[in-house]
Amino acid sequence: MGHNVYLPKLARIIEIKEEVSGARPIKTFRTNFLDGDGFLYRCGQCAMLSVFGRGEVMISISSSPLVKDYLQFSVLKMGRVTSALHDMEVGDVLGIRGPYGNSFPLDEWKGKNIIFAGGGIGLAPLWGLVHMTLGNKKDYGDLTLIYGSRTSKDIVFKEELEELKKRMPVHLSIDVPEPGWSEFVGFVAQNVMDKKLSPHNAIAITCGPPIMIKTVIKALKDLKFEDEQIYTTVENKMKCGIGKCGRCNIGRHYVCKDGPVYSWAELKKLPQEY
Amino acid sequence: MEIPKILSGEMMDKILAKKDFPEWLKKLEAYRVYAPRKQDDVWNYEPVSGPGNVQLADVMTAVPAKKIVFPQREYFFEFRETDDNGTKLTELLPEDNPVVVFGVRPCEGKAVTLTDKVFSGEFEDPYYWKRRNATTLVGLACGTPPSPNCFCTSVNGSPHSKEGLDLLLTDLGETFYAEALTKKGEKLILEGQKLFKDPKPEDKKKAEKIQVEAEKKIRRKLNRIENVPLKLKGMFDSPFWDDESMSCIRCGICTYLCPTCHCFDMNDEVETTTPLQGKRVRTWDTCQFPDFTMHSSGHNPRPEKSSRLRQRINHKFQYFVEIWQNYQCTGCGRCISLCPVGIDIIKVVEKVRDYGS
Amino acid sequence: MVNIEDLKSEARRVLKGGKVKYIIGYERASETWKANPVFLKNPEDADKLVWDPTCFHNLVRFVVDEKRRKAKEKQPDTRPVGIVAKGCDSRAIIVLLQEKFIERMDVYIIGVSCESTGVIDERKLAKKTAGKTVQKVEFGEKQNYIVTTEDGTMDIPAAEIMADRCLECIANIPVVSDHLLGDKTKRAVARPFQSVEKLESLSQEDKWKFWTDQMKKCIRCYACRSACPMCYCDECVVDTINFAVTADTTAEEKAQRIKWLEKSPIDSENIFYHLVRAIHLAGRCIDCGECERACPVNIPLRMLNKKMEKEAKELFGYDVGFDADQPALISCFRDGDPEDFIR
Repeated sequence: MGHNVYLPKLARIIEIKEEVSGARPIKTFRTNFLDGDGFLYRCGQCAMLSVFGRGEVMISISSSPLVKDYLQFSVLKMGRVTSALHDMEVGDVLGIRGPYGNSFPLDEWKGKNIIFAGGGIGLAPLWGLVHMTLGNKKDYGDLTLIYGSRTSKDIVFKEELEELKKRMPVHLSIDVPEPGWSEFVGFVAQNVMDKKLSPHNAIAITCGPPIMIKTVIKALKDLKFEDEQIYTTVENKMKCGIGKCGRCNIGRHYVCKDGPVYSWAELKKLPQEY
Repeated sequence: MEIPKILSGEMMDKILAKKDFPEWLKKLEAYRVYAPRKQDDVWNYEPVSGPGNVQLADVMTAVPAKKIVFPQREYFFEFRETDDNGTKLTELLPEDNPVVVFGVRPCEGKAVTLTDKVFSGEFEDPYYWKRRNATTLVGLACGTPPSPNCFCTSVNGSPHSKEGLDLLLTDLGETFYAEALTKKGEKLILEGQKLFKDPKPEDKKKAEKIQVEAEKKIRRKLNRIENVPLKLKGMFDSPFWDDESMSCIRCGICTYLCPTCHCFDMNDEVETTTPLQGKRVRTWDTCQFPDFTMHSSGHNPRPEKSSRLRQRINHKFQYFVEIWQNYQCTGCGRCISLCPVGIDIIKVVEKVRDYGS
Repeated sequence: MVNIEDLKSEARRVLKGGKVKYIIGYERASETWKANPVFLKNPEDADKLVWDPTCFHNLVRFVVDEKRRKAKEKQPDTRPVGIVAKGCDSRAIIVLLQEKFIERMDVYIIGVSCESTGVIDERKLAKKTAGKTVQKVEFGEKQNYIVTTEDGTMDIPAAEIMADRCLECIANIPVVSDHLLGDKTKRAVARPFQSVEKLESLSQEDKWKFWTDQMKKCIRCYACRSACPMCYCDECVVDTINFAVTADTTAEEKAQRIKWLEKSPIDSENIFYHLVRAIHLAGRCIDCGECERACPVNIPLRMLNKKMEKEAKELFGYDVGFDADQPALISCFRDGDPEDFIR
């Protein structure tokens, strides 16, 4: 029988970074397991974070598997559990169950140009992937990052993005004009069209709020990307994380187990209930 | 995880006189015994207080036998804050006490084989399996359909189906014909020792006759549904679901009382706050509640009753079929009998089958 | 006797004229002897209507659904919704009007008098027919019901299988309607609130034991709440989520929402849920009995609400569901209030 799938492993928070403050705060947590055991995971997988007494929430692992010193999660404060998470301090203990879900099919993407299109907190599930591909740059073609947020204050991983610009094209955008903003103004989908991204030998992955995903997929289709070239991660309310409680069920899939990574070719075959 | 079956050829068939049934129960002191009991005009599986208090009859309990292996509430673990800003987790697995349930309907036995599939696999559920392995299900073949809405024969079941059961009793009038189906069932018979006699050939014939006759007594049928899974696929956006769900009041009865439904919730129940102590608890949940799929952001993939009725029918007659090649319905008819507004799953699926033609 | 053809022709007339969006009424589907709610959109659908002692549902529940549906539409159809309403159901409409949840022009009420007998109680009927399959139940002419089974017809005196709430009914004729069918003689009630008397007479310990035993059966399916027309709150004590959240609701607000009770169906939570619901229905419950009828484990829920109704009457002289202009019981006070802390 082995390990109890419902029993979290304990981990301590070793670092907290406030990415975004205000009404929609985002914090990045770095954690270490108390028992020091390895936690093998692949890019795109998620874990259930437990705040004991409050509940659990499924969060993408935003550090790449190449990083061994910590497990990183970037969390948007949205409801009960995430609020409790945001109230935690360095040294506090939380529970981690996982890794759950499928992962980005990196082997299939070798040699291809990869475009990352993120919006808001949607950059977090992509972040590990960005660094994974950058860390193995010779295996892939051109890497491009397109990222948009509501305002310049809502940009996640702000300093890291500035660093990233030195290593690959990074196209930022905000929804409405601001004094001092010199980059694109508009939604991510519009930025995608504006940059005239080429579908030739390319894979595009998009993460963000549902409406952003829909518009970006449409933009990519307009730019002649095939369904198999477009990938996204699907979010759904989850509780067990292991495909049994039924909450994240879409068609014959459970997003926690069979997702969250889907190509548009696969996703459009499922009932559009997410 | 497979329940060890008796190899073919070793099947144990016995006869038990009904008057000896209380004696058999006396020998089962090591087990916690459950049987259907009536309270306020409702039957339910309850612990048996004394050996004379079990009367097996063709009744349909309100809450099905799934509650024994998959209870409405169970603990996962306890969490406690320790002095050094740490947390201690204590696993709370169910105890190994053997349980026996009498009077289980064959449709409930079959339903347990379906929940077995869900709780197995890559992430085997230790709580479910501990209970499942410790539980012996003694079925009672239906002589007459326990409910006017039974339709087990339409969904690959029968009033004498052996699936999921450890022992099947068929009522022959003065005696029970007892068929042991697994090692657990065999053990239960062996506990009864000399009370169980070898059957005569006419006993077996009588049992078979009763079983076959019972099939004919089932009034309701759901015919020609082989194409329903495919039909459902094409009806996702149809206004059919708005019409069918108009009278739904979105209570949880159809799903809570369904022997095959398995959706659940997990919550942390806090007992003390300083130091923080509590338990993580699993409870039944239902896709029919509006907040089942609602995100914290307020976004709800299934905001309307129509989408939730569609989900229930789709999950039972399409998605489950795609994953497990079985309908997720064993035809017990509880959802039909107990729906306060008379939404009838047989009618709904028939309409799906005939939609557009 | 209510003439079913009169009911059908009124429904037909109203649908033909386009006066209503649809009519909520009762039909009997095949395979069942009980009436079920039906939604009639076209004049020819009116032929589906039935009126018999199995029309126990409170259809006002669907008026609440209609309001929710309308609230989501950008350009809602402002026509009223038609409804076939019994006396008790009409009182529910009065309460919704009183609370300004709906407006009078939102409903077109086809009132049906229960005349001298009310609807039946399924369990009492099952005991009376003892194993036989019921095919039909009809109103008789002499305070009786005519029950058809596979063995023929049975003539049963109404008082023997009538629903408990009908035995103490104070509104056999709808109190508000746009069109009224049936005899308009008010049925006298020997003793209102008689059903709570037996429980009231028990000692404190016995009462507590009675209710805790009953609450052990509760599986928190919330059928009681779902069936009740008056349980329309978007933010309910039992829900894990406030349904009134929008994209602008802050995380703080969501995080601070108190978890009033656990999902676990344990004694403490079950009792808390039912008592809170009863208090929230004080002065609002019109005893349609749907909560008790819907309950799959037969908890005598209407006892709790009936007791509240009795207190409202005895302590405050408050009659529920007759006057749409009177203020709600628990949100008003009068100068002559029996409690002196309020004066």
